[in-house]
Amino acid sequence: MSNDELRELIQAGYHAIGELEFAETPDGYRLYHRRDRHSLSETTVLRSPEDARQVAKYDRSGAYRPLKGAPNLPSGWRLELPDLNALRRALDYFYPAALGTWRAFREKNARVVSLRRTLDRQTGMYRIAQKITTEQAENLVQKFCSSDGCCLRTILWGIEPDRPSVFLSRSKSDPSVDQTGEGRRIIPYLCLEGCNLLVGAARKVVLAQRKTEASPF
Amino acid sequence: MRSIEVEEMFDKRRSALILVGHGSTLNPDSSAPTFQHVDEIIRRDAFAEVHGAFWKEEPSLREVLYMVESDHVYVVPNFISEGYFTETVIPRELELSGPISHRMGKTIGYCDPVGNDPRMVDLVLQSARRVAPHVPADQASLLVVGHGTSLNEKSAEATLRQVREIRRKGWYAEVEEAYMEEAPFIADWRKNTSHHYVIVVPFFIADGLHSYQDIPVLLGIEPEPTVAASHQEVFRRNPHRLDGRELYYAMAIGSEPSMADIILDTVDRFQQKHSSETAPQTGESRDIMVAWEECQRGEAASLLRDRKLQA
Repeated sequence: MSNDELRELIQAGYHAIGELEFAETPDGYRLYHRRDRHSLSETTVLRSPEDARQVAKYDRSGAYRPLKGAPNLPSGWRLELPDLNALRRALDYFYPAALGTWRAFREKNARVVSLRRTLDRQTGMYRIAQKITTEQAENLVQKFCSSDGCCLRTILWGIEPDRPSVFLSRSKSDPSVDQTGEGRRIIPYLCLEGCNLLVGAARKVVLAQRKTEASPF
Repeated sequence: MRSIEVEEMFDKRRSALILVGHGSTLNPDSSAPTFQHVDEIIRRDAFAEVHGAFWKEEPSLREVLYMVESDHVYVVPNFISEGYFTETVIPRELELSGPISHRMGKTIGYCDPVGNDPRMVDLVLQSARRVAPHVPADQASLLVVGHGTSLNEKSAEATLRQVREIRRKGWYAEVEEAYMEEAPFIADWRKNTSHHYVIVVPFFIADGLHSYQDIPVLLGIEPEPTVAASHQEVFRRNPHRLDGRELYYAMAIGSEPSMADIILDTVDRFQQKHSSETAPQTGESRDIMVAWEECQRGEAASLLRDRKLQA
């Protein structure tokens, strides 16, 4: 997404994405955690887009945060950024490709891939994940990708290529819904296909089942 | 390819660079070298835009092209060797059809991995000297450790290339290769090295679970892997005294500042190679590229012969 396109979004009233909110200031742009909305003066000031990368790396307890859509971003900081370019870079570090995938979605250029197709192209240690059944995959995704504690992305794909994703709540597949439940007008963090973490989890489901089947008890 | 398209593609300032790292869902330090080089190349203002992308982190290889504004894109694998990731995973995930692909309205140039650069051997030697500055090289065994995998024989080939090059220099009394997943195995270092001083350099891009935990356990300088993944204590306890010998364990080589130069040169080599396919080149640059490619082909063939003989 270009800077001009981001400017247009801001002018159209979009000031939130995932757990974050942003606002224009006399000196540029401010980006902060929604929980700090009413206590910004008490937050630590950061000034570089690259600081965003560091903030996004660890959760509130200090644990590594490999899934950027996880609703566990730490609060207590605010990024004061000089221009739109810096804001766009910071947003890309917090929610990688969120701006670009949403633009592609609106232009009807986003390519959505079913979980089955994602699994079918896996090789090496992940090849075994292809064995997961539709029902197992539906159960897994409902838990693993839930906006309530797991991932704030809006899922656009289904399990099988020719079947709709009815196993998910309607809100989880609706780009206009704020996945934090706050009802803000948000830039959605779209999920166009299952991530590597989900593929890894599918692999574990298959391995666990094989272990159970192999057990004499 | 039309010549105007070639010209545009070869203008780096109008192109995007995607530096591809492995990344990790467990180790917070895995992506650090890739982002370090991304930041440095952004600072140099060499490309219109620079992005990191990962197999196991975000942005993923599946999504990164949505971040790119430019019509022309160079993809450089920040990998130590050709192999499973550069030949299978990255092309598959980015849907590349060859060195030059067209996708999502963009022309994508797929470059060699950084590990193919001839200066990697200098980084290995620098790393060995830094970890054991006072050890006399002529009384030391240098063990270059690679991943190795049954999924692709080229993984080990890159490590062996460094070993052969360092042997040729004749500085170290002994230079050997060792791997995690294929023979000669790291765990057999005692019988595969013969000198009092043993310097172990992991031929890896990033320090992570392999260099923090797996290799130290295989070497016997750590018990079972129980420490947190990002602990770097293992590098601070040199030398390790084992069986009457002194072992020095170095960090991975991918964080060296000169890696940014290597990445930019990798793109230059790609440009030179593929411009010669479409437009006649004259003089020195063509000769250098021809010599370079012949050298690479010859080296690869000879390495494969060696490995087959050893097997």
